[in-house]
Amino acid sequence: MTRNPRFTKRLLTALTAGLALLGITERSQAQELYLTGPLAGAPAVRKLRLYRQTRFEIAPAVSFTLLDEYQRTILLGARMQFNFTDWLAIGGWGALGSAIRLPTALTDNIQTVNQQRQAQEAPCVGVNSPACAGPNLTSRLTGVNLGKNLKDQLGGIDWVVAPQLTLTPLRGKLALFQSIYLDTDFYISAGPAFIGVTERANCNPCVGKFKTASRTAIAPTAALGLSFYVNKWSALGFEYRLLPFAWNIGGFDTAGGGKDNQFPDNKISDADQRFRVNQMMTISYNFYLPTQYKVSE
Amino acid sequence: MKKSCIGLLIAALGVIPATGFAQVKVGAKAEAGATIDADEGDAKAGGEAKGSGAAAAGEGDLGAEGEGVGDICKIDPAACPVLDMKKEAARPIKESIYAVQQLYVMRARRVEFNPWWNATSLNDQFVQHKGPGIGINYYITNVLGIGANFRYYAPFNADSKFNGQVRRAARVAVPLNEYQWGASLDFNYVFAYGKFAGFGDFIFEYDAYVLGGVGALSTRPIAVIDPDNRNFAYKPKLAFDIGLGLRIFLSKWFAVNIAIKDYGYNEQLENLQTNEVDPSKQSDWLGKNSFTQNVELQTGLSLFVPFSFDYRLPK
Repeated sequence: MTRNPRFTKRLLTALTAGLALLGITERSQAQELYLTGPLAGAPAVRKLRLYRQTRFEIAPAVSFTLLDEYQRTILLGARMQFNFTDWLAIGGWGALGSAIRLPTALTDNIQTVNQQRQAQEAPCVGVNSPACAGPNLTSRLTGVNLGKNLKDQLGGIDWVVAPQLTLTPLRGKLALFQSIYLDTDFYISAGPAFIGVTERANCNPCVGKFKTASRTAIAPTAALGLSFYVNKWSALGFEYRLLPFAWNIGGFDTAGGGKDNQFPDNKISDADQRFRVNQMMTISYNFYLPTQYKVSE
Repeated sequence: MKKSCIGLLIAALGVIPATGFAQVKVGAKAEAGATIDADEGDAKAGGEAKGSGAAAAGEGDLGAEGEGVGDICKIDPAACPVLDMKKEAARPIKESIYAVQQLYVMRARRVEFNPWWNATSLNDQFVQHKGPGIGINYYITNVLGIGANFRYYAPFNADSKFNGQVRRAARVAVPLNEYQWGASLDFNYVFAYGKFAGFGDFIFEYDAYVLGGVGALSTRPIAVIDPDNRNFAYKPKLAFDIGLGLRIFLSKWFAVNIAIKDYGYNEQLENLQTNEVDPSKQSDWLGKNSFTQNVELQTGLSLFVPFSFDYRLPK
């Protein structure tokens, strides 16, 4: 035990300062503002029109595929869902895509060249002359990939059924040209999708075989959308949807051989299915039942 | 000295039990601290005069028999308003509430800096024209602005793998083009504005605008028909643009900006035929012209300068 008075003094001073610091930090509490008046504790939005809550929604919809290489598909369908709350709904989207398909300029371009080749090739069938060397070579090189009509071998989305959950995080209103006012909401939908796809059937050997076959692909799907409420029971909707899955859109042999299977192997197989993030824009007109909405406090 | 230290120690110990009285929740009685009336903007000690503030202020301003406008009554007794407050209070009120009261952001006489990244070409599945861009707009009124923008594509053009697969499979080459830069002068018109409530809790404002203008786009063909002999130089072309954009305001001077813009121009495509006698003859390299549209999805930011502004009228 030391008797050094300077040490004792330092010890007491340090102890004092330490206790003081501990005392201040442990017990001091922050002061909160005490708000009174009508705005105190009030919700961000009062008297909100609950367009979705406990309402059934039926939305006939037309979807247009985007960034298509060979053909554009217009899907006719509908979205149906039940909105448990104003921000959560369960339902599904379904559409048929086999009715309207429009070839792109690329398809027309390839088919034009294809027809020219067929015309050049016709007199050369079975003829082994220098004049026929070109058409015969081209015919051999494209024999696996091009039939008489390219459109007949293209892949297409026949139908889609997508059960989905819809989250509506944003509700608001819009002033259009400072004179038209619309209630709006923004939603996100997600779920699995079952897709009926028609594409060129697998074959080996494939020269002269251009039949198509159907299968069901399963893929995730997600959509972002805006609803513009026209009246108490209907709204105009715009939606952007992603539908990523692999399929053979052109019916071509593009993979399955060579390094990393990235080169043609002269047969049509699952390796020729190319992963593609299919995108589409949807326009819908939404009906809500019952026709009267609720209003929040 | 020892005594002074012991005194300090006792003082420090005395600090420990000291407790700051935190304010209780709204509606409960305050033990201490200030009371702020949200409507009055008035601080009253001790939480007293709760509920009386509004009435007191009202009476002070224009009470029964014009008590609160004494000066007017003294100057001109004829102009002295005489109001029966009970009668006035009983009168039905049909208050007009505007969809958007006092716009959150005023754009008039402010400059907008709009850097962006061209996320994707929405209609070109063969070559993606990505790249950065910047727009500078000056708003003459709250809804109308003029501006200029510059886009740089050169190192970011992406020739899709799909093109090579088609060439190999079908023996058909499709003329492709790539971009170097683009610039345009635009008019902007804000046609819609509104607000969103996130889960009914937080609120943010947004506006939507259209734009249109004229400028230049420097492009060149990618040599795919005869890449061994052809090498094209970039050449600027007259380009028109229209667009639709959405700004989501995070503050009065900062916003997230998403826009879809369509640039239309007359493109010169590579000649599908080759000159087998003299493939280096440059006049044979270019083929037909084609009016081309490039629809871009641009994601960026908007910064408004000056950062703050004053409203002409109070809310």
